[in-house]
Amino acid sequence: MRRFTAGTWAILLKELRVEVRTKEIMVTAGLFGLLVTVLTSLAFFLDDATALRLAPGVLWVGASFAGVLAMGRAWAREREADAIRGLLLSPVPRPAIYLGKAIGTWIFVMVIDAVLLPIVAVLFRVPLDAQLASVGVILVLGMTGYVAMGTLFAAMSVRTRARDLMLSVVLFPLTSPALVAGVVASREVLGGASLDETLEWLRILTAFDLVAVVSGLVLFEPLMSD
Amino acid sequence: MEFDRVEVQGLVKVYGATRALIGVDASFAAKRVTVVEGPNGSGKSTLLNILGQLVRPTRGKVRYGDENVDRGSDLRAAIGILAHAAMIYPDLSALENLALYAQLYELTKPAEAIAELVDRFEIGRWGERPARTYSRGQLQRLALGRALMHRPQLLLLDEPSTGLDVRGVERLVTTVESERARGAIVVLITHDPKLAERLADDRIALDRGKVVSP
Repeated sequence: MRRFTAGTWAILLKELRVEVRTKEIMVTAGLFGLLVTVLTSLAFFLDDATALRLAPGVLWVGASFAGVLAMGRAWAREREADAIRGLLLSPVPRPAIYLGKAIGTWIFVMVIDAVLLPIVAVLFRVPLDAQLASVGVILVLGMTGYVAMGTLFAAMSVRTRARDLMLSVVLFPLTSPALVAGVVASREVLGGASLDETLEWLRILTAFDLVAVVSGLVLFEPLMSD
Repeated sequence: MEFDRVEVQGLVKVYGATRALIGVDASFAAKRVTVVEGPNGSGKSTLLNILGQLVRPTRGKVRYGDENVDRGSDLRAAIGILAHAAMIYPDLSALENLALYAQLYELTKPAEAIAELVDRFEIGRWGERPARTYSRGQLQRLALGRALMHRPQLLLLDEPSTGLDVRGVERLVTTVESERARGAIVVLITHDPKLAERLADDRIALDRGKVVSP
């Protein structure tokens, strides 16, 4: 267990150090998410009520597109100079490699989403109040499972030629439960419902998070060994 | 984990419709350099990846010494690999890369180990710059440090001389000789006949996944 924790921590610190130095993921994925939200807001110039109804969809499209880009870039680093081979050969338990990478990517995605959320609120005239904070909670829950599942498939993409294509084609259908539950729960909350009233959707998101994290921990080693 | 030989028996590896290895038997001993030869696609890298725990065989056994352990973290801690690619992070400096691997290998005295490697492989001030800016020779020195910092019992070399100049090849030869003298089991894949001639104690030839006469 000590080796697992130490390995996860070492890989997470490496992720943060590389990102602080290059700012590659934050800039590319963040700008992409921003572009999606701004262009969408310009395309739908509507009254306040309709804008409020569009906001959840735009937020989740921006966050999920930025997320897939972040996951792809995070694993592209492992491909360069074949660093992943060095990691896999090290004595660190292989699920710890997955977990370190997943937590690192989750942090990047959370920072991007923390910027996207208020921008979507301003562009779509969503009040900056407790309802928006509730949407933030839903976004955190949804993106956790999304990143956990995406990290596993992004890792597999290191070993395939159609990398980005495979990630996008496989990831979105597999994470549709989290994306659908997240969008619907956000829509309900912005429509006036409390978090308690969206409990069924939050349960789906939590269950998906658990399944995604456990799947990643269990499947990473066999998927990377062949 | 300590062992003084590695044996493979009836090793088969199948990728879809392609049979990369077909019933390979071989033995690799400590204090000897075994050169694995063969044309492209003969299964050399697959064999090396199986020895290095990076790929699981479809059938057959790999035996590391007398212990009945064929997988796991302790075993990987006894294996080092050096290839054409440096297996490092180009956005980190040489010192940061070595520090990362010292953490991953849980070295008890990482600072001393890194200082020794810096001295042994002449990693100068350039070691503080991002590895992306290094020459091929500097990258090789970093890769040697990464591969050897934990004093591996089994050292796997996958075409390590590709793209190196004369000095780089000499450094590689000196390093392999010193690892052999230390007691390591060295397995070398190379297309360079001169390098093979200089270093080989034993030779294994592969062709289309099978061991053939060298």
